[in-house]
Amino acid sequence: MTAASGALDPCAPSAHPVNGLDDVVHQRVRLGILTIAHEARRVEFGYLRTQLELTGGNLSKHLSVLEEAGLIEIEKGYEGRRGRTWITLTAAGSTALADEIGRLKLLIARVETTDTAEGR
Amino acid sequence: MTADSLPASSDPRQLLSEVRALARRVRFDQRVTWVALLVLAAVTFVAIPIDWYSLRADCGSASAWVTDVNDGSGCHVRRAGAMFYWPLALLLAYTAIAVYAVRVARSRGLGVRVLPYVITGVALTVLFTVLWLLARLYLAGPAPTQPLPSWLMLLDRLVAPAGAIGVALLVLAWLERHVSLLVFTLGYLAVVLVPINVFWHPDWGYAGILGEFLPPQIVNGAVLLLGAVGFAVARRRHR
Repeated sequence: MTAASGALDPCAPSAHPVNGLDDVVHQRVRLGILTIAHEARRVEFGYLRTQLELTGGNLSKHLSVLEEAGLIEIEKGYEGRRGRTWITLTAAGSTALADEIGRLKLLIARVETTDTAEGR
Repeated sequence: MTADSLPASSDPRQLLSEVRALARRVRFDQRVTWVALLVLAAVTFVAIPIDWYSLRADCGSASAWVTDVNDGSGCHVRRAGAMFYWPLALLLAYTAIAVYAVRVARSRGLGVRVLPYVITGVALTVLFTVLWLLARLYLAGPAPTQPLPSWLMLLDRLVAPAGAIGVALLVLAWLERHVSLLVFTLGYLAVVLVPINVFWHPDWGYAGILGEFLPPQIVNGAVLLLGAVGFAVARRRHR
């Protein structure tokens, strides 16, 4: 997947990357939803439920949080008689995901830098 | 997997690992590699009889349309059937692959990045057809007395339909981030660019002319077919 590379210098004494984490995105299930939606462009509710091993109600709650934050769009429709719900990542969602991945990479870089310094 | 909020101290490595695993899973579910290879193999095999019956060679003789190609003189070879067949067949093949990919992904509950592949396939088909026609027009003059340079023969094979299939497969491998398909395609392109003629007697088929064209086509089709079988088996095992 494509995401921000975390161009900030991990050794720089700037604000800790943890401070920049978005509470909406920095959550295991919601990060998973954004990741799948990013890769798939468009994903159906049932696929998310299966892959993330969630109940329908639990998944709906997370989708509502992401929708309210403007990170995803939810489209309901029918295929034949069967109702289907499709989730699409918005531009803001794509940016938020890239930022989160960048922050995570930065965190890892920070931890590794600190470990190296302490090992000397 | 839990729905709990992540504490700031949670392991970012594990989180990234899970994100990558999910991304890989989605890509796997979107792929229709074996179907694409099967369609391209079918297109390649269907081309063989068309090429066989439509090929014409002029070796400078007024008495026959093909004579003594092995005496060192050059021949003009025209593959009119192939010229008409390949562009249409490739466009239909790419369309069929795209439609199938969309339908399969949709039935699995996913979207698919198919438009870049279709655009690439169509663009390559048009581009390579134009280059192929220009090459044929350029070579329509007096028969060369010397063998053509090897780089020109290599370029000729690359812009021919089999080469175009390989280049489009490279794009598909990149779009799907599919390393196995990339490796397979590089092998396929090696076979296309360095044709194998050891299984064919030099005198078979109109003084050897058809022998120059048929074995590579059979080998190319067989490689694509084997690739389709291989990717289908690998997919079944992965499930």
